Amino acid sequence: MPGYSPVNSKLLQVPVGPGQEVYSKRGAMLAYTGAVRFAPTTTAGAGIGGAVRQRMAGESTPLMHVTGQGSVMFGHHGLHVEVVDLQGDTLYVEADRLLVYDASLQSGTMFLGEQGGLSGVVRGQMTGQGLFTTTLTGHGSCALLSHGGVVQLPVQPGRAVYVDPQAYVAHRGQIQNKLHTALGLRDLIGRGSGEGFQLELTGQGVVYVQASERKL
Amino acid sequence: MNGPRMLAVDLMGETIRALNGSMVAYEGQMQFKRQGMTGGEGLMGAVRRRVAGESVTLMEITGQGTVYLAHEATEVNLVPLQGDTLLVESESLLALDGQLRTGVQFTGLRGVTTGQGLATTKVEGHGTVAILSDGPAIALEVVQGQPLSVDPQAYVAHRGQLQQDFVTDVNWRTMLGQGSGESFQLRFSGHGLVYIQPAERGDGLGAEV
Repeated sequence: MPGYSPVNSKLLQVPVGPGQEVYSKRGAMLAYTGAVRFAPTTTAGAGIGGAVRQRMAGESTPLMHVTGQGSVMFGHHGLHVEVVDLQGDTLYVEADRLLVYDASLQSGTMFLGEQGGLSGVVRGQMTGQGLFTTTLTGHGSCALLSHGGVVQLPVQPGRAVYVDPQAYVAHRGQIQNKLHTALGLRDLIGRGSGEGFQLELTGQGVVYVQASERKL
Repeated sequence: MNGPRMLAVDLMGETIRALNGSMVAYEGQMQFKRQGMTGGEGLMGAVRRRVAGESVTLMEITGQGTVYLAHEATEVNLVPLQGDTLLVESESLLALDGQLRTGVQFTGLRGVTTGQGLATTKVEGHGTVAILSDGPAIALEVVQGQPLSVDPQAYVAHRGQLQQDFVTDVNWRTMLGQGSGESFQLRFSGHGLVYIQPAERGDGLGAEV
């Protein structure tokens, strides 16, 4: 199965054919060749229940179902595009950072409280990520949007990585994350270093970090 | 370096100074401390900085491990200094070695019209400075007898024995609003290097997406 091929760092070419259907952010198509159809979708393969969950979770980004035979180019707002290949593992990502993903991947919504209980909820609120995040599981490819490109930082047992919540893009693998505060007296009096909160990622996996503090 | 837009700094207990809030990730043990009002320049330095409007908020980073710094997806350029002086716009400064000294240099008239304030930041000593540019910065060499003129909004930094003065090309067309948009330039003469970026700062350094 031919995969996603980046035209440049901000433009992605995706082949579409029978058995090779994708979901993409609505309106992110820039050009296509062949007989390709774009159908707006609200369920995105997650079923009605999934759609309701997404809507309630605020993790619903308008998506479209791309089918047919041909090749489509995707891009969004001049943001950098990073292709991630999944082999049976799970990617955790914010819904609005997903540009395009294979229909063969199962998407779901995860309540942050499932990971860390109350502190997960607090973390979601503090970092502006909301209470839910989107998961993609299975075999296939997906493409992430970032401002300024991403770097992959490996996380290993005994080697925790701390990430600015605004620069966090996605992670995969067996990773626990929790909110790490480094607040001092100076922050309370408005003279902080601007690095009061970080996500602490521990376990085994990879975290994707963008080169900017800008949320999408 | 870790790609053109992210700077990775390995620390073994030493201290660096970086733009407030520019940390995107780190491994190991790190401490972040905002610098006081004086920023290591003493009381007079702080007063001068306040007067000049060249305020830059830096934080001190100390620890063991690797820290990743980035700012608004602008590109990072490393400039090694060996005892010489780099003059840089405060908003283009990302990080610098702890041994480097910073100060304020008054530049006179040009800042007023270019909206960059009356002064610029001076970095001197031995060490490495990371400067930000919107797009990859290039260094242009200035030699004796061949002055270089640059757009003030594309200017990032300069070093060496350079005098700068302000060139205006204002004529009646400009007055009528029919100017070419290139009415003001900075002219550098002497011997040294000038760093420019391939973008013109309209409203701050932030690249629009």
